Amino acid sequence: MNRDLRFTALKKTPFHSRTSLASRTNKYYNWNGFTVPTEYSTTELEYTAARNGTSVMDLTPMCKYMINGSDANKFVDYLVTRDLSQMEDNTVAYIIWCNEDGKVMDDGTIFKFSNTKFMLCCAVKIYNWLHDSAEGFDVSFEDATDTTAALAIQGPTSCSTLKNYGADDLELLKPFGMKQYNINGYDVLISRTGFTGDLGYELWTDPANAENMWDSIMEAGKELKIRPFGMHALEMTRIEAGFIQTNTDFMAAEDSLRPVRMRSPYEIGMGWLVHLNKESYFVGKRALKKEKETGNSERCLVGLDIDGDKPAVGSVIYNEKKEDIGIVTAAMWSPTMKRNVALASLKRPYGIKIKENIFAEIYHPEELEYKKIWAKCKVVKRQFFSPERRNKVPADLYE
Amino acid sequence: MSDNYDVIVIGAGHNGLVCANILAKKNRKVLICEARENCGGLVEESITNFVPQIPLSVSSSLGGLPVKYRAKSTIALSESGQHIRLVGNQHIDHKVISGFSSKDADRYVEFHDKMSSFSKALGSFMMASPPRIMNNTFSDYFKLFKLGMNVRMLGKKKFNEFARMIGLNIADELEDNFENTLLQGLIAHDAVLGSNLGPRSPGSLINLLYRMATHDNSIFGGIYEIDGGSKAFVDTLLDISNKNKVEIKTSSSVKRCITENDKAIGVELHSGEKIFAKKIISNADPRSTYFCLLGTENLDTDVKRRIKHHRSKGKVAKLSLSLNKKPEFINCDKNDLESRMVIAPSIDYIEEAFNPSKFDKLSMEPILEMKLKNSDQSNPVLDIQVQYASYGAQEGWDKIKDNYVDAVIKLIGKYAPDIQSCIETKTIVTPDDIEKNFYVSGGHWHHGEIQIDQLFMLRPIPGASQYRTHLDGLYMCGAGTHPGGGLTGIPGKNAAQAILEDA
Repeated sequence: MNRDLRFTALKKTPFHSRTSLASRTNKYYNWNGFTVPTEYSTTELEYTAARNGTSVMDLTPMCKYMINGSDANKFVDYLVTRDLSQMEDNTVAYIIWCNEDGKVMDDGTIFKFSNTKFMLCCAVKIYNWLHDSAEGFDVSFEDATDTTAALAIQGPTSCSTLKNYGADDLELLKPFGMKQYNINGYDVLISRTGFTGDLGYELWTDPANAENMWDSIMEAGKELKIRPFGMHALEMTRIEAGFIQTNTDFMAAEDSLRPVRMRSPYEIGMGWLVHLNKESYFVGKRALKKEKETGNSERCLVGLDIDGDKPAVGSVIYNEKKEDIGIVTAAMWSPTMKRNVALASLKRPYGIKIKENIFAEIYHPEELEYKKIWAKCKVVKRQFFSPERRNKVPADLYE
Repeated sequence: MSDNYDVIVIGAGHNGLVCANILAKKNRKVLICEARENCGGLVEESITNFVPQIPLSVSSSLGGLPVKYRAKSTIALSESGQHIRLVGNQHIDHKVISGFSSKDADRYVEFHDKMSSFSKALGSFMMASPPRIMNNTFSDYFKLFKLGMNVRMLGKKKFNEFARMIGLNIADELEDNFENTLLQGLIAHDAVLGSNLGPRSPGSLINLLYRMATHDNSIFGGIYEIDGGSKAFVDTLLDISNKNKVEIKTSSSVKRCITENDKAIGVELHSGEKIFAKKIISNADPRSTYFCLLGTENLDTDVKRRIKHHRSKGKVAKLSLSLNKKPEFINCDKNDLESRMVIAPSIDYIEEAFNPSKFDKLSMEPILEMKLKNSDQSNPVLDIQVQYASYGAQEGWDKIKDNYVDAVIKLIGKYAPDIQSCIETKTIVTPDDIEKNFYVSGGHWHHGEIQIDQLFMLRPIPGASQYRTHLDGLYMCGAGTHPGGGLTGIPGKNAAQAILEDA
């Protein structure tokens, strides 16, 4: 073969032999250098499984970094805006981190094993950032992305599925808790975390255990409406949950070519994760403090409840004078809530002080013609879907 | 807890002393903490041979600085004895050079005029605090506008020439103009002196312009020796400090800055003593200021990156040979021995000497600038500045020091055959020694390279210009700030102004 036509193939995850067998549509995409399914059969079916049964997703491509060392605790607290000094062992926390200008670089989850051992999970690669940040701290890093296999098990019957798989007493695990198991001879770390806004877990294990784990879980969930689900279905569930996605709802600071596109935590609804009264310094603190004091945040990220049933994908948002005040970053018709919802980035004061008379201009394609809809929007909480079962302890069990 | 002092200056180098005195004259209660036993820092003769004159703006803000300077001429030594002797006066220099090449002599005057007008255009910009676009203030824009105007006012032709030359290497420009390799070597020597560049490195020309701006806008003028040596200079500054009631604590090295609510409020000494003040000024180099005083745990990652990438590896060592008699330099008279003697016979020679230093190695044929002290007494001293003596040399300074010194002496032997028999003792101060003994990371004269990305508003690092650091209440006044090193006192003076503005 002509050398020029050769490429380095995308990596296959340890679950690939199973995900490829389960895929009817052969639709894959490139996630962080791995090839993973966008959908297995139909997105709607997979979404329905996530909301009514158990859904299984290959999470291996997520960036995973082990942070070790005597200063690991101090370092993590320095890296992120949230105050983690009181974080307990064997818990997980949702975090964001910023650059020196107080602009968000990415969000992720941090797993605390002990004061000297953490795992950071995120979307954007930050090995370099970790190293440069570590100057002056006694910490070391290991990129565990390729050496850890991860599965998301989400949905109302997920706890029962995992109990069948061998995770005893899992129903007692609190949200954002984690627990180490040994199942079928392999260590499996189970955390009560997820990206669907529902009851759900994430499993972390040795790649050698991947196929066995997949098979056993599929078997364990056979009677509990288990189904693998892909990126498209996940996108639906995360919008309903009001979770933001880097480079979709906001531009990661390191990825934006235009400085004006960078967003501070206050501009993407993440102000609650910024603890300015944290005793020690953290990256971006000076800039964020200044922004908070002067109140010069320019944007906000809000939830919109939109009239009608046509999703406002990519719509421009206007005020009553038809002035452009923002853009929809993610939108969908929510089958569970029967609502037309969207996440939108608006120019302040719209979305904060002015919540009335906001309109979306929706272009709805209808067989090679666009129907233009002028839809009234209501600013609402971003968390559209948050069932009681999500945080219930003990978790609901089904047979 | 009360503020005992208005200002604490960390480091009694000349910039620290200048800064402290200007503030004291404005009725601030000032304390200087100096890590070493004596004051003056790198002003010491064990570091540099010659100095520029303190600008009038600095001496007048101190209420006069009674220091006498002696102007020095320059001699470029040639193995053949065909030396070039220059005094910084174009009329005389033209005559001297025409003895080698009449074409070069004419070109020299043209080249000098051109460079001189450029250095004057930069001049006022060099002396003042650099503008900062981020500030978005009228005065900052005005400063930038003025620089633009200064350069534009040179006329269209010169403006174009300036734009062409600003990023150029000095070798190309010299080879375009001159045919005499010794003259080329001499000018190239002054362009790369104290820097991490070879004559063919891009940006070496701006280094020469920078030097000219502080050396009376002249290529070979503006080179001085202080009457009474550096000791007299430091003593004068200390006298002034005494008069202004500046307190100085020697042998008191500062461990860190004490902060409260992200503001500097004092310093903690290595002895454990804590002293409080409203403002803290660091005369230390940027890396020490940021990593030690501010502390890595108080810095944003981006700032850590910039400080880590800040280029500050010293390249100059100082060798002092005490002699039992005056050495005989080939074809040199008494006047010549009083001059600044340079061994840099050609551009290629310098570039060859530079090449190993790119890999942190040492050239055994370095370039030298020499000064003969006490030449009419029985115990003369030959002070030699050795360029491209890399900081952290791969060979290991401990192991190679003696060989290196011998190589330098052998090199001098080509120009003064009896040098070997004159030597009583040899002392060398390497960049590593400067780091250790003077607390300057990298042992760099200028606390950081003088290059276009580390100059003006980018000096020492973006976001920390105008003598302020990322920490409220902590300032910088050392050579690491604009306009850089050299015995000018400008950073100290500008820093004092910045503090008075903020008060």
